[in-house]
Amino acid sequence: MGLPAAIIFTGFYFVPFIANLRYSLTRWDRITEPEFVGFRNFVNLLTNDDLFYKVLGNNLRFTFLVVLFQTLFSLIFAIFLVKNTRTNIALRTLFFFPTILSSVSVGMIWLFMYDPNFGAINLFFTRLGLEGFALNWLGSESSALYAITFTQVWFHTGQMMVIYIAGLQQIPQELYEAAEMDGASRWQQFRNVTWPMSIPTTIVVMAYTTIQSFRAFDLIFAMTQGGPNNSSNIFAVLIYQTVFSELRIGYAATQSIFFIIVLVFVTLLQRKFLNSRYEK
Amino acid sequence: MKQKVNAKAFKALIAMAFAISATVVPLSQSFAAGESLGKSCTTEGLMTGTKSTSLICVKGGNDKLTWQRVKLASGSGRPVANLTPPKGEIEFWHYRVELGDQRALVKIISDFEAKYPGTKIKQVVRDTTTYNNTARVAILANPKAALFATSRGAIFDQFAKSDMMLDLSGQRYVKQNVVAKGLTAGQFEGKQLGIPYQYLFNNPIVNTDIWAKEKWTTPKNLTGWVNWCKDAKAKGYVPLAWPGATRGQAAQISNSALMNSAGSYNELANNLADLNSGKIDLTSKWFEGVADIYVKLRNAGCFPDNATGVTEAAAYNLFATGKSPILPIGTFAMGSIVGLNPNLNGKMELMSMVLTDGKVVAEGIMNNTYTLSVNKNSNSRDQKIANAFLSYLLTGKVAEIYANETLQHVNVLDVEYKNVNLLNTVSFQAKNTMLAPRFLLLNAAVSDLTQDALIQIVGGKSPDVVLPDFSKQIKQKLAG
Repeated sequence: MGLPAAIIFTGFYFVPFIANLRYSLTRWDRITEPEFVGFRNFVNLLTNDDLFYKVLGNNLRFTFLVVLFQTLFSLIFAIFLVKNTRTNIALRTLFFFPTILSSVSVGMIWLFMYDPNFGAINLFFTRLGLEGFALNWLGSESSALYAITFTQVWFHTGQMMVIYIAGLQQIPQELYEAAEMDGASRWQQFRNVTWPMSIPTTIVVMAYTTIQSFRAFDLIFAMTQGGPNNSSNIFAVLIYQTVFSELRIGYAATQSIFFIIVLVFVTLLQRKFLNSRYEK
Repeated sequence: MKQKVNAKAFKALIAMAFAISATVVPLSQSFAAGESLGKSCTTEGLMTGTKSTSLICVKGGNDKLTWQRVKLASGSGRPVANLTPPKGEIEFWHYRVELGDQRALVKIISDFEAKYPGTKIKQVVRDTTTYNNTARVAILANPKAALFATSRGAIFDQFAKSDMMLDLSGQRYVKQNVVAKGLTAGQFEGKQLGIPYQYLFNNPIVNTDIWAKEKWTTPKNLTGWVNWCKDAKAKGYVPLAWPGATRGQAAQISNSALMNSAGSYNELANNLADLNSGKIDLTSKWFEGVADIYVKLRNAGCFPDNATGVTEAAAYNLFATGKSPILPIGTFAMGSIVGLNPNLNGKMELMSMVLTDGKVVAEGIMNNTYTLSVNKNSNSRDQKIANAFLSYLLTGKVAEIYANETLQHVNVLDVEYKNVNLLNTVSFQAKNTMLAPRFLLLNAAVSDLTQDALIQIVGGKSPDVVLPDFSKQIKQKLAG
């Protein structure tokens, strides 16, 4: 019974993982034979690669903001749209709609929206007389990552909202009725019923959003390719550039090992935090 | 009856004469009356075409300018007919997904297959990014891919180092059908491993209507460009529609900045090789000079507002809508511009961009790319088919189909450009142009970081901050 799964796991996960470990100890350009360099790539990455730390910082910042806002907005939307009325169903469809678009299409749409000279966003601010808010969104190091964060949140909030709605609909109605009989306000109902009962869903949403934000390759590649000056670069894009543009396969394998370590660390941290809340 | 026929023929003759004169004469100065072998001419370098019979205006020993037969091929003798292929099927791998290219190649291949029944050419087309990232490995494992394309620079270099290209040096069609100047980009360690098919000009394209309206003349040097930018900006134009957000196209202008940055082409090539290997960095005196050109252009208002956020599409838009008189990209953008604004058809010309106040090494940039090679690992029959099809592509009549359909100049003799935009720009083939120097940076990381540094300078940062910062990044990349 477990054999097909074991074969798939071995062939598609375990073997590539071991191969990646092997490549991380080499210098290889896909043209000449790999040259064994021991742990030189690891030492270089940790001691002589400012870009690695910059990308690590970008990735953590991007993940933190995306997880925070995507979870928050999807929970708020879910609370407002949890009842199965016609209007709510229509609004859910509307909020979910961006999710069905391809990432590259979303990237291209927002690329036009953010255009500093022709884009709808700056046009909007300019018309309102708020020229100070009309920024060089994707062309400036200080705003590019945040502009992409906003797009990522817009893109996936609807999807997380649907997961939350499914979770919220499982909360027994009697709990709200009892809370109401005790004279609990809306806020108290949320704090003492909705939030504790939705923590298992939140764990799923946050874990999924975290992984999603680490993998936001296509969106970033379509919008800035990690620029300007790597200010919007994240691990997935950096590894791609190291492999395909720079042909440094061994070094990219080392980067990917650190990528996995960071991802596992962040996910464990989240789980620990949320589990402790759940147990309380 | 006979009189009627004569009258009809006379009318047709008049109509044809009128049509030819009305369309061709105003399009290119090179078609001005009076050019015949040995007669005097006025503009040095002016050429009547890229035919084996074309003339070029050159200065003789007596300092007089006269029309002489242009010698464009590396060998002597007229262009030759294509080779005959054996029967069989091969794959032709390339990256030209563009509609015009597809229309042209489908027609050319079906004509070839009709001419040689039993011979089939199957196109395998990938977009540029996918092709550059995956094609080399795929072709190495697939001997059926007997003919394939590479782009000049790092990609051609990677393919060439993989020892997968047949040496075409001895082929007659290479010596007699191809513009000699364009062969360099397909050479590697003394062998002709590929034939660059496209002959591009990475020079600024000018909107001739605006230029005429404002009575501007081509700036002759860096000071001239600085003054022109100030004037154009004062008149409400965005002087250069420069796409700072699209590195590949933003980099085109760096060719012009690099072109006259050193005393000679060899000196420039050495500098770039040293930069590529880490022997020098961006803080070298030479590169500081290049960065200074960007500073001067930036301070003169040459670039658009928020330049680092301007995408390729936005830059095209600036030019196509007449908000900007110059698109500093190259001839390959003309097709897209005509698509955006058909009124600009025939109203675009190339312009030299000399960005130095000192010695002029070259007055323009050209590039030879879409380099076609025969697979060394294919069997001999498939190599023969590939070789025959390549020779077919390199005949004037066939290359003409490709050129006029794609709006790209080609590296082939005896091509009659019928498109007005190609006619307007073809005379650049005879100018003192330099093979685009930016592609001499074969290390992609070094090349990208060099361009990013220049983009940052346009964005407003000081070279004093940018150059050491990016030099450090390059050093770390080379160490990894």
